[in-house]
Amino acid sequence: MTRRTTRTFTVGAALAVSGLALAACSDSTGSGGGGDSADFPEDDVTLIVQADAGGGSDLTSRALATELEPVLGVSIVVENRPGASGSTAMQYVAGEEPDGYTIGFSPVEISMLGHEGYDVDPADYDFLGQIMLAPGVLVVPADSPYDTLEDFVEAGQDQSLSVANSGAGSIWEIAAFGLADATGAQLDPVPFDGGAPALAAAVGGQVDAAVAGAGEVSAAVDDGQVKALAVFHDEPYPDLPDVPTAADAGYEDLEFGGWGGIYAPAGLPDDVRSTLESGIEEAATSEGFEDTVTKSGNLVVYKSADEFTDFVNSEYDRFGTLLGNG
Amino acid sequence: MNVLVDGLSPLLDPTVLVCLLAGLLVGTLVGAFPGVTGSMAVALASGFTLTLEPVQGLAVLLTIYVGANYGDRIPSILVNTPGTPAAIATTLDGYPLAKQGKAGLALVASSFVTTGGILVSMAVFLVAARPIAQIALEFGPAEMFALVVFGLTVMISISSKSILKGVIAGIVGLAIATVGRDPITGDERFVYGVNDLNSGLPFIAVIIGLFGIAELFDQLLTHREQSVRPISALGRWWPTRGELKQMRKPFALGSVIGTVVGVVPAAGGDIAGLIGWDRAKRLSKQPEKFGKGSLEGLAAADTSSSATLGGSLTTTMALGIPGDSVMAVMVGSMVIWGLQPGPSLFTDNPDLVVTIATIMILATVLSLGISLVRMRGMVRLLDLPRHYLWAGILIFCVVGTYTTTNNMYTVWVMLGSGVLGVLMKRTGFPAGPVVLGLLLGPLAEANLRRALLIDGPSSLVTQPISAVLLVLALIGLGTPIIARARASRRQGSGEAEAREKESSGSVR
Repeated sequence: MTRRTTRTFTVGAALAVSGLALAACSDSTGSGGGGDSADFPEDDVTLIVQADAGGGSDLTSRALATELEPVLGVSIVVENRPGASGSTAMQYVAGEEPDGYTIGFSPVEISMLGHEGYDVDPADYDFLGQIMLAPGVLVVPADSPYDTLEDFVEAGQDQSLSVANSGAGSIWEIAAFGLADATGAQLDPVPFDGGAPALAAAVGGQVDAAVAGAGEVSAAVDDGQVKALAVFHDEPYPDLPDVPTAADAGYEDLEFGGWGGIYAPAGLPDDVRSTLESGIEEAATSEGFEDTVTKSGNLVVYKSADEFTDFVNSEYDRFGTLLGNG
Repeated sequence: MNVLVDGLSPLLDPTVLVCLLAGLLVGTLVGAFPGVTGSMAVALASGFTLTLEPVQGLAVLLTIYVGANYGDRIPSILVNTPGTPAAIATTLDGYPLAKQGKAGLALVASSFVTTGGILVSMAVFLVAARPIAQIALEFGPAEMFALVVFGLTVMISISSKSILKGVIAGIVGLAIATVGRDPITGDERFVYGVNDLNSGLPFIAVIIGLFGIAELFDQLLTHREQSVRPISALGRWWPTRGELKQMRKPFALGSVIGTVVGVVPAAGGDIAGLIGWDRAKRLSKQPEKFGKGSLEGLAAADTSSSATLGGSLTTTMALGIPGDSVMAVMVGSMVIWGLQPGPSLFTDNPDLVVTIATIMILATVLSLGISLVRMRGMVRLLDLPRHYLWAGILIFCVVGTYTTTNNMYTVWVMLGSGVLGVLMKRTGFPAGPVVLGLLLGPLAEANLRRALLIDGPSSLVTQPISAVLLVLALIGLGTPIIARARASRRQGSGEAEAREKESSGSVR
């Protein structure tokens, strides 16, 4: 009895080892498909994710991969290469062959890291389309004296207010800089280690406010743990219909979002680029993709390759100005 | 009554049972695999479980969570390599026990206290989840800083031979922890243009290196046939009545510490295990045995690190704030199933709360069963010829750390830490304080600076929780020094004193 159990366990362990070993080797499969680019794709496509498995970027990427597989007719291997705020993955993608067999999930950080001392430049990539957006929301503790963005900004004229965010150099820290810049309020961004602890600080009343993704805060708003003052997007967030946009509250063009799209190393052959672009469009506008993305609290916002490229570059310039000031 | 029936009935579905068993198998395997953590396995599994029904999916994810908490003890005890960070404190007494030929006893005792720890914390979850979870909200940056400083005092009792060497090792750990981006300003520190260093040294790779790989290198360097007694022949598996009685106090202590630390977000089994071990040592009648194969130490470490499971489940479900990294993934999955954790979960879906608690309890009991059945086979691994055993472990460690990031850099860090670990071993510096500094340093720094940004220095002493914890930390630092002074006064002059000086490093 015991011996059999042992053997089963050993076999199981061996299987697990070989499985992990295969997963480890999978990065070699992506670049294997040379051949005529007109026949693209003939081999598995590797999709590099800059964050750990299980997070928002990973979930979105896997949902897109599921829809993209039948469109392209090959397997999409999602590979996580976390580290150094995502720059590890971005530098890896920049260094791969531009043959379409290595693509990646491009988070908003691709427009930010270059201004924060990382070797990341949007010019090194071909952008293939935006697929999602997490609009930023300003929340305050439930017992906060401020009920509107105006109250909050006004209070910020006389005293400095602490605003929690998900980390140093994160988009939500930039949003606090941007809000201060546009309104003249004195805001002290307080970086936490992730969105959840930042929100917890607002729920617990340790900070005056927090900026976080709409999906991250909507449950806490519904439960009355925090009050949402404004959405930094051009239209209200569906799950928080009563929360005004920053523009409605009197501040035009105050938009901050954690967007994401798909990119590849610069220099893709034209037909490969158009195959991928139309495939991504089909996958990103599919029902299955929308279902997963909206359920996890984000919005499906599709932009074509050209629109997305312009958008990434304009964000790059805007963040440069804001971070220069901050 | 209805809630109970509604909560339990979905579990009668045979597919749920299959999910439970699958999750347990995966959980125990990944736990035992150094480098691969429960949160990684849950994250990867969540990709597949999204297509299942919520109850089936929860069964898989929660059982992986529980199973990993049993599996990670095995390599800690048998080969000094923590399977996951939560089992760091297990190595302190578990490995010495195994070296004394008591691996079987250590594994059995560890399984039982782990089971007890989870069950106690789950009882707290069932009875008082919502009030207890409020503790989590009290823990702002100032309180977290104080808790972490309190945790840092463990450094003293973890330094087995010499306090001085322990503190030096701890400072090395704290220094290494400053590598990477500044947590508040985002500026580079000690990066030297190496991009991978921007996120600091990978914690898991360092602990595997300092504990497991260092032990392995040490054995390889020693060469000589060790006269290790065949462990399977020694086979006393069950603790005696006296030993059970001995473990009662550390168990009670560990359950409380683990549950509370689990409730605090961002503090998990790794910190809880170390604090639990330290508290038990200070309260023990035989503190000198701690770190040299004390069953009390093992019981305290494993109870507190496993009791964090119920604690972090409490915070997660009652507040919607993930209590640890596994729970963060869990929240993501639950939201997609349309189940939002948070205060409304308990009012809108009380049956789901019952289901979740039942899955956790079932998983715990089944894990205990599996551990006990499989135990003999696991220990027999140690009878393998040493060269196969250590070579196998090396392969496991390399593959395990590589898969965490798909980056060879992590493997180099692990091997480098292994070399550092051997050097420290040979010069009598303990590895524990380095790990403690690396684990707690970033938390201390980031939370201190957040607290200063928000309210200035006064908040550290005016907030009651943080003031109490800081005073406790001062006491924790002061007592060993006083005890040591008293001990040396009691001793006469001459040889006795010299000997005492050496052994008084192990603080009471």
